Amino acid sequence: MLEGLVSPESLSLSYADMSVPERLKWLQQHQQQEVLSQSNNDSPELLQILQFYGSNNDELLQSTFSHFQMLGANYNMGFGPSHEAMDGCISRTGSCQIDPADTMGVMLKNSEENRAISFKTKRKSEVKTREQEKTEKKIKVEAETESNMKGKSNMSNKEASSDTLKETSKGASEIQKLDYIHVRARRGQATDRHSLAERARREKISKKMKYLQDLVPGCNQVTGKAGTLDEIINYVQSLQRQVEFLSMKLAVLNPELDLSVEDLSVKQFQAYSSNLPVIVASKPLIMVDVPLFPLDQQGSLDLSVINLNQTTTIEAVRFYHSENFSDYSKFLLLVWEVTCLLYLFASAIYKLGNSVT
Amino acid sequence: MVDSLFPTIDTTDDVASPESRRKRRRISETSKEAAESSSEAQRINEESSKRWRTNRVQQIYASKLIEALRRVRQRSNDAGKITSVAREIRDTADRVLAASARGTSRWSRSILAARVRACLKKHKKAKSKGTRKPRKDTAAERRRVEKLPAVERKLKILGRLVPGCRKVDVPNLLDEASDYIAALEMQVRAMESLAELLAAAAPPSTTLTRP
Repeated sequence: MLEGLVSPESLSLSYADMSVPERLKWLQQHQQQEVLSQSNNDSPELLQILQFYGSNNDELLQSTFSHFQMLGANYNMGFGPSHEAMDGCISRTGSCQIDPADTMGVMLKNSEENRAISFKTKRKSEVKTREQEKTEKKIKVEAETESNMKGKSNMSNKEASSDTLKETSKGASEIQKLDYIHVRARRGQATDRHSLAERARREKISKKMKYLQDLVPGCNQVTGKAGTLDEIINYVQSLQRQVEFLSMKLAVLNPELDLSVEDLSVKQFQAYSSNLPVIVASKPLIMVDVPLFPLDQQGSLDLSVINLNQTTTIEAVRFYHSENFSDYSKFLLLVWEVTCLLYLFASAIYKLGNSVT
Repeated sequence: MVDSLFPTIDTTDDVASPESRRKRRRISETSKEAAESSSEAQRINEESSKRWRTNRVQQIYASKLIEALRRVRQRSNDAGKITSVAREIRDTADRVLAASARGTSRWSRSILAARVRACLKKHKKAKSKGTRKPRKDTAAERRRVEKLPAVERKLKILGRLVPGCRKVDVPNLLDEASDYIAALEMQVRAMESLAELLAAAAPPSTTLTRP
């Protein structure tokens, strides 16, 4: 894990690299001054703590790195830049093992109630002090995420560490408010009623967007509201088009509805479950290579469309759900194909209708 | 009859992906720990997607669809143009979908209400259809519209796609959209399977899509 962090990918964060080491050094200095100014009763324990860190560096480093890595993975919202920078910073200082130890010391010394030696209990009490800092407002959205933090110990640990680091980096001393634990008002942000309400509304909306991201396939690659909304719009349009297409198909097959109703067998309807929007990535339905497809090369696409006539049209539409289609341009390709298919289908039906009657 | 057609359909298979299932389970776990109304939104969302994936809903929809299609066939009486029949079938399918939503969602109410309004207009026959004010595309208005941030523009487009959601605010619009997507997926699946069944059962001369 250590090697992985020192790898060039983690060092590619360049935008905050300048400020972060300086910030850390300031932190260390600040905290060292605090240590000196604290009562002497605590110092032996603190020394023990430091020795603990000094001795078990590997374990600590690994746990720190794992925590920060997972922090990076899980927290996009406000934490993104700050702890990505931390990640890069810590990975750079991986060779000298004192710095992360100091940051751990920093986190410990912040909460004055933590005097236990064991590592995990410190984390948990940090969570408690963090809770006491909240401002009071009964917005239950935040309460849910708050208790979410509490419920999962790992997550809460990381949250505590990132939060306290943020706090110390802002340089503010801690004010412990023993108020309702309903809203996580992040420090340094406005705590008046309007902005809290605004933040609650924004979080509600973002939660709903996340849910929609789960619902719409292929939405995970795109980040940001605009891209997600794009994908959602495309998906709804494609579903509506599928419905139209299927209704046309049913219009053709409708005369047989009475005849075949009694024949509908169980075995045939088991095909139902396999007709779900399955990720069909294997079948090379589309003969034209996707990057070679500008929309003006319609001549070359016609040949492939004729080939497509031999395969089930449903599969072509289902192909949208395959994971290859993440781009809007690729989706345009699909749209064009579907309309071609519709046109072919309709014309074929028309000819058939003419021939029958 | 329809019950015998859905013996082995697994609701768990219908879920989009294992990751979304796991996420939903995690969401439901956290909802147990958290305060009530915070998880309400999530519960509503979960329940809306689960609503459209249950076996029972699918059976109801399929049976209603078959009935409606039979009635459409009788009404159309072998109309010449297939496209008009197709449009009727699509409208019927949408109405059946809205009916099986049981009026809990805005889009379903709008679909059903639109038909009622059309019937009333046909009966009245008095007013012209130009009651809706045509938006004169002035340059100023176009500039104003284009100045809106991209996200809001897309939200407007989404509102236009989901029936009856043009003037709905953002969180409700997102809720309606998720419900609508779940319902559309179910509709597509049902129609697909029905079409495939009919195609398989029909004499081979009419199956064009199979070689």
